[in-house]
Amino acid sequence: MRPILEFAAVTRAYGPRLALDDVNLVMEPGELAFLVGPSGAGKTTLLKLINREIRPTTGQVWVDGIAAHTLKTSHVSELRRHVGVVFQDFKLLPRLTAKENVALALQVGDLRISDEEASERAMDALEAVGLGDRGGAFPQQLSGGQQQRVAVARAVVGQPRLLIADEPTGNLDLETSWQMMDLFADIATFGTAVLIATHNVEIVTRLQRRVMTLVQGRMVRDQPAGRTGRMAWLASS
Amino acid sequence: MAGLVVKPRFPRRRIVQIVVANVFRYLFRGAARNWFRNIGSTAPALSSMTLLLLLSGLVGLVGFALHNLEQVQAGQASLLHVYMRDGVPATDVDSLWDRLAKDPRVANVTYVTKAEALARAQTIPGLPQLAAASDGNPFPASLDVRVKSIDDAAAIDQLVRTDIAVDPLDPTSYDRGAYQRIQAVLLGLAVAGTAFLLLLGFVAVTVTINSIRAAIHSRRDEVSIMQLVGAPRWMVRGPFVVEGAITGALSGALAGLITFGLAVAGMQAGSATFAQFAPGVTVTVAAVAAALVFATGLGLGSGSSLIGVRRHLES
Repeated sequence: MRPILEFAAVTRAYGPRLALDDVNLVMEPGELAFLVGPSGAGKTTLLKLINREIRPTTGQVWVDGIAAHTLKTSHVSELRRHVGVVFQDFKLLPRLTAKENVALALQVGDLRISDEEASERAMDALEAVGLGDRGGAFPQQLSGGQQQRVAVARAVVGQPRLLIADEPTGNLDLETSWQMMDLFADIATFGTAVLIATHNVEIVTRLQRRVMTLVQGRMVRDQPAGRTGRMAWLASS
Repeated sequence: MAGLVVKPRFPRRRIVQIVVANVFRYLFRGAARNWFRNIGSTAPALSSMTLLLLLSGLVGLVGFALHNLEQVQAGQASLLHVYMRDGVPATDVDSLWDRLAKDPRVANVTYVTKAEALARAQTIPGLPQLAAASDGNPFPASLDVRVKSIDDAAAIDQLVRTDIAVDPLDPTSYDRGAYQRIQAVLLGLAVAGTAFLLLLGFVAVTVTINSIRAAIHSRRDEVSIMQLVGAPRWMVRGPFVVEGAITGALSGALAGLITFGLAVAGMQAGSATFAQFAPGVTVTVAAVAAALVFATGLGLGSGSSLIGVRRHLES
């Protein structure tokens, strides 16, 4: 099976500073993995490379068979239809309802989807994240956890092959964070690879999934699922 | 086949309808909604562009009138009136006519009697009063000589000056350099008008680019979210370009209507004077000018917003 995500000797520099240094990683479909590391370790840079918000300085980034490292700006939207993204600050459009926010992601990717179909699929996605009754609510009428769920619904409604989440529990309480993790685990069971960048040590240690550790831009550890050990960096972060 | 879900294909026409509806919604309806929502920040661009387009329209009409005036002057400069001496015998006039008609530099020669000269003078403002003040007919008979090239007018003037049939005191209507002076003035006006229009265009483009930059800045979160969820480039840029086009079209329509109204009002206020000072400017010409102003507004608005989007959106 072709990997859904592949980094080959990826380096990304910001001026003289190396944000990522010779990073290699492979993710398979249906895999759920955590990306951990102290602040400034390069986690967000790695996620931005996947979503082609930036290009690597050297090396190759392959996303679902698409060469993100050489992709022209005019074709970035095609890659982004293969990748669902969940942000710490949700990034929902405030003038749209929850349902419209989710439907928007569907229709911008495929104009052949009618309003009715988009609306139906958006409601399905919202029901899947437990917000079937809040489709008509605007983001400001929802709690942080609910907004994050809407963001997850938006990220998965187009059935992407890869879901990336940047500190998705950063603004949530512990209980809601666990609910989010259950949701990500469910999504992974349907074959979508899920990569979560997080600081939340409790979640990472208890879930016993694959953990990739970045320190100063280098991938210092890549522990397979079920073998999560102590993470010394957390004490200093 | 049990358990297999067969999805029928959507009819092609239905797909086209859906795509058109979605494009219309994301491009035009979204742009119109944003335009009305941001009318406060668009108002300066709208008003300055209206003013600039109005000035452009008026300058354009004046330029058109001056061009026509130059054509009239060129026509007049190539027509040389050779005034006949009072009481000149017909044979002398015929002799001069023959000489001129055979000259290769002459296009044609027409004899104008004293009565015809008087009738013609009465159509020229100021001259009827002069005719009324004199005893008899003060206007001489003439041979009207049309030269093929304006440059030959001086040579023909020299040729006829000493002829026996010609009035020795006031031989011809030739005024050395008069046409060249008019041409120089008109050229200066054309250069000044073009420079003025270019300056207006530059200001209009700059104002629109800045208003688009302000719109992008105020909606930067929305733009980045659209980009992050995979919206294609045209879907992100398009509404801003349409917004610019709306601003330009409204400015153009307003400025075009005012241009048309002013021109028609000028025609109605004094049709004879207007026709004399602005030859060729008719209701049709004013309507064409208004249409051009509208088209310019539309092009300027969408073009400059496209530049603004290209310059500021990617950053």
